[in-house]
Amino acid sequence: MSKLTIGFIINGQKKIIETTPFTRLLDLIRDDLHLTGTKEGCGKGECGACTVIMNGELVASCLILALQADGAVITTIEGIGSGGHLDPIQKAFVETGAVQCGFCTPGMILAAKKLLEENPYPTEEEIKRGISGNLCRCTGYQKIFDAIKLAANRLSTRDGGRGEKDA
Amino acid sequence: MKKQGRGMATIMFGFGYGEGFPDHSIASVEIEDSGKILIRTAAADVGQGVLTVITQIAAEVLKVKPEIIRIIPGDTHLTKSSGSTSATRQTFFTGNAVKEASEGLLSNIYHYASIEFRSNHVELEIKDGYIFRNDNPNYRLSYWELADKVKERGDSLKAEASFFPHTDKPDPKTGQGEKLYVAYTFVTQIVDVEVDTDTGVVEILNVYTAADIGKAINPKNVEGQIEGGTVQGIGMALMEEQVIKEGITLNPNLTGYLIPTSMDTPRFVTRLVENEDSEGPFGAKGIGEPATIATTPAIANAIYDAIGVRIYHLPITPEKILKALKEKRKNK
Repeated sequence: MSKLTIGFIINGQKKIIETTPFTRLLDLIRDDLHLTGTKEGCGKGECGACTVIMNGELVASCLILALQADGAVITTIEGIGSGGHLDPIQKAFVETGAVQCGFCTPGMILAAKKLLEENPYPTEEEIKRGISGNLCRCTGYQKIFDAIKLAANRLSTRDGGRGEKDA
Repeated sequence: MKKQGRGMATIMFGFGYGEGFPDHSIASVEIEDSGKILIRTAAADVGQGVLTVITQIAAEVLKVKPEIIRIIPGDTHLTKSSGSTSATRQTFFTGNAVKEASEGLLSNIYHYASIEFRSNHVELEIKDGYIFRNDNPNYRLSYWELADKVKERGDSLKAEASFFPHTDKPDPKTGQGEKLYVAYTFVTQIVDVEVDTDTGVVEILNVYTAADIGKAINPKNVEGQIEGGTVQGIGMALMEEQVIKEGITLNPNLTGYLIPTSMDTPRFVTRLVENEDSEGPFGAKGIGEPATIATTPAIANAIYDAIGVRIYHLPITPEKILKALKEKRKNK
């Protein structure tokens, strides 16, 4: 088995790591870096549970080879916030009841992060489209829309934007 | 052409194992050294929120903030059986077990405090984890201080309880019985759909739900269960079909077996009907499975209302709708 060395930045930290030509980015993140917030759902790029942000794009890490991450900048859910330091999107997910089993949540939050970066004032229709690549079996999605709306409101208020104050 | 229709369905759902099967949950509640109150339960929280519900119940009974409740969940070494997370039963069964255990603990707090304060129960008051005499609120003991004193007496502040209601086996001939389930949840849903008669695609516009859940211990979680169950019902009605040939599933993936995405979510209007059940914890009943049952027949009825054809086999796919419309035109 030939080993190859790659380098990338993940959650702001520079990593140089040995990997194989057939290691998936998902396994590199979970098994080698022990960042287990990223989940494996279908393993075929259909469900969005393994979503990470790579070079500014949402990707299914189960479909990316680790080698493709050489030189990349990656954000996983741990890079968004964890423990006592939650991102406003994570807080909104907790408060609105957008988390049930939680398996889709890391991917959902990264999709929401990307959506709000591109479109800070999304309509409900735009929110639906923005997370349509991430499946959730528990919530029926409504509370996730509510969470993203709440986070959008708070983020835009903070930035002095046109968002409404919290109800 | 796009045609709109409205359909309705009402269901009742007996929850718990029922029908005479032994069905119980055991829980214990104790004052911990760490300044916390510990609940032991094996009830599995798979996201439906039972651990949130029992935290609220224990905090309510023991008059403390929910933050000081700690739970040891599902450890075979440290907890006793709570039965399965299935049959829409955990809020009712483990909720009741935790409520009774909390009440048992509260009784013991009153009992030992009445010894410490040389006072009758009725002269004692409890607030935020402190117990004191009404006529002298300045001298008070926290639950944890009391627990230390109880320990000196060779006892401890803890209580275990189980909830083990009786149900009847149905008569094998008639299927009837006096009490086959501990209680029933009732749900009515009205669904608005839009059917595209050119493509056969059905869009679910609005879902109006009235659910008699007895008491919503956590209203947001109840809504979440209803919305999630409803969207699963939409999946069952319109898209989910496991294709099996000679024992092999031919579509074991999410591109061949479709489940609803965020784009399939309708507008929800939900009313919680709090018609308290006499046996439920604070009157609560289960909402897990009942949330999903009415949706599918309500959608089938709405499609009939929209285009005048009945589809009897799920899922109601665009192909089936187009075929039924074609036959309808032929028979005219």
